Amino acid sequence: MYSTELVVQTLISGIMIGVLYALMALGITFIYSIMRMINWAMGEFYMIGSYLQYMLVAHLLGPDLWWLAIPISAAGVFALGLAVQWGLLKPIFKKPPELRDDYATVVTLALLLLFRSLATGIAGPNQFTPGSNLPIVMVGPMPLAGARVAAFLFALAALALFWAVLRYTWYGLALRAASQSRVGVQTAGIDVLGIDRMAFGIGVALAGLAGALLAPVFLVFPTNGMVTTVKGFEIVVIGGLGSIPGALIAGVLLGLIETFGAAFLDSSYQNIYGFLLVLVILVLRPTGLFGERGREA
Amino acid sequence: MTAPALEAIALNKRFGGLQAADNVTLAVQPGEIRGLIGPNGAGKTTLVNLVTGVYQADSGTVKLAGQDLTNLPMHEIARRGLVRSFQVTRLFGSLTVRENLHTAFLARRSPDSGDGAARLEQMLDLTSLRPLADTAAKKLSGGQRALLQMGCGFMVPGSCYVLDEPFSGINPVIKDAIIEMILTVNRTAGATFLIVSHEMAIVRRLCPTVTVMMEGRVAAHGSLEEVARLPEVIAGYLGKALE
Repeated sequence: MYSTELVVQTLISGIMIGVLYALMALGITFIYSIMRMINWAMGEFYMIGSYLQYMLVAHLLGPDLWWLAIPISAAGVFALGLAVQWGLLKPIFKKPPELRDDYATVVTLALLLLFRSLATGIAGPNQFTPGSNLPIVMVGPMPLAGARVAAFLFALAALALFWAVLRYTWYGLALRAASQSRVGVQTAGIDVLGIDRMAFGIGVALAGLAGALLAPVFLVFPTNGMVTTVKGFEIVVIGGLGSIPGALIAGVLLGLIETFGAAFLDSSYQNIYGFLLVLVILVLRPTGLFGERGREA
Repeated sequence: MTAPALEAIALNKRFGGLQAADNVTLAVQPGEIRGLIGPNGAGKTTLVNLVTGVYQADSGTVKLAGQDLTNLPMHEIARRGLVRSFQVTRLFGSLTVRENLHTAFLARRSPDSGDGAARLEQMLDLTSLRPLADTAAKKLSGGQRALLQMGCGFMVPGSCYVLDEPFSGINPVIKDAIIEMILTVNRTAGATFLIVSHEMAIVRRLCPTVTVMMEGRVAAHGSLEEVARLPEVIAGYLGKALE
């Protein structure tokens, strides 16, 4: 028999990792909802976030200021995202939409290779860890790694901020409107290319934030974004492409399925459980739990 | 002499082998309600798209109250006061009626137009959508969506409006409501309208003058009665003389 303690601990672990996965998925789906493009280099923005966190903690700020390094890392990735949108994506988004998807795919795949090669070239294939001096946190009788709890709380705060901006600010209203009709927002006098820039910056910053938060847990190396990217896309399929609530709920769902599967079935198949859920969703509801069936131009 | 509210001068647009706009020139005077009529494929929507920045013109000039708008981006043209509607409404489906109106106001507001709250309340009354103010736009009927689209256009007063088939596919009651909205905004704010429509009864009621387009060119201009007597307009568009 399984103890209640193990079930509760697994539940908490699943929710915690699910929320962190959801950050990544939210970035993918947010960019898609506004720009109608898939950013295939999301994992590399995650990776850059984790390297920035490592450099800041290990070489500049020190372990005690890990919490300060996290927003700086996310901001660094945000700035990089603005530059990528301005320099590489905006030129094609100014033109009629026929080849946008193809172009965006080529550009982001090229970025994936470029960033990975740069990371290997600059820092080598080694694994780093920014380390964590956070103590074990006791939740009732259960010990939880301090770094994971901190990452979870930071992720919750980021998600709350993201939601508040979308819900309560004029810019959030414009972002939500752009996700419904790109032509409509332009008719309303809103610069859709400016919206694109901000959406891309915010989307990759969410990935960078996930990278910074998970750096002490999953380590820092040139391909560390690969697994989280796969998880991100799994969540997007489960929750529905373009659905922000779908990303959050599916993130937690994936985290729970993986941790429960690992705890109660076989931990060596942890990554398979999520894929099985994806297959079930694709068969039963191809648009995902909260996906839309169509939208206006 | 006052500059025309909206002016297209020698506009040209080619799509592959099709000359969709062929040296199109027209001028709509301030406060005028002008009809734009012609058969399907005549270039009416192309002209609307050129004037409002959806398409870039191959050559020619667009002016709004004398200021050059040629090939500016759509959002910049809207901010300068030239607002359009679409035959297929372009609303923000998941946003409420109130949020749609608010979005239409914020980027186009001028320093003296306040926070838009009063204007928003006016538009809820003008469109008769107050009972649905907190309903998502995607849950509205086709007619209600058409009313909301008009309300979004009117959120910033005193603009020039280009309406592409605003009466298409909606019931007579909503058509009457839209006609009343247009007349109210025209009378109270002196707004200028260029209206694309195939509904001759409505064109006759709303538009003292019309421009007829055929095969990408301006074929005629005058009152509906005048142009409807022209043999080429009867042969190419109306089929028979208007009653």
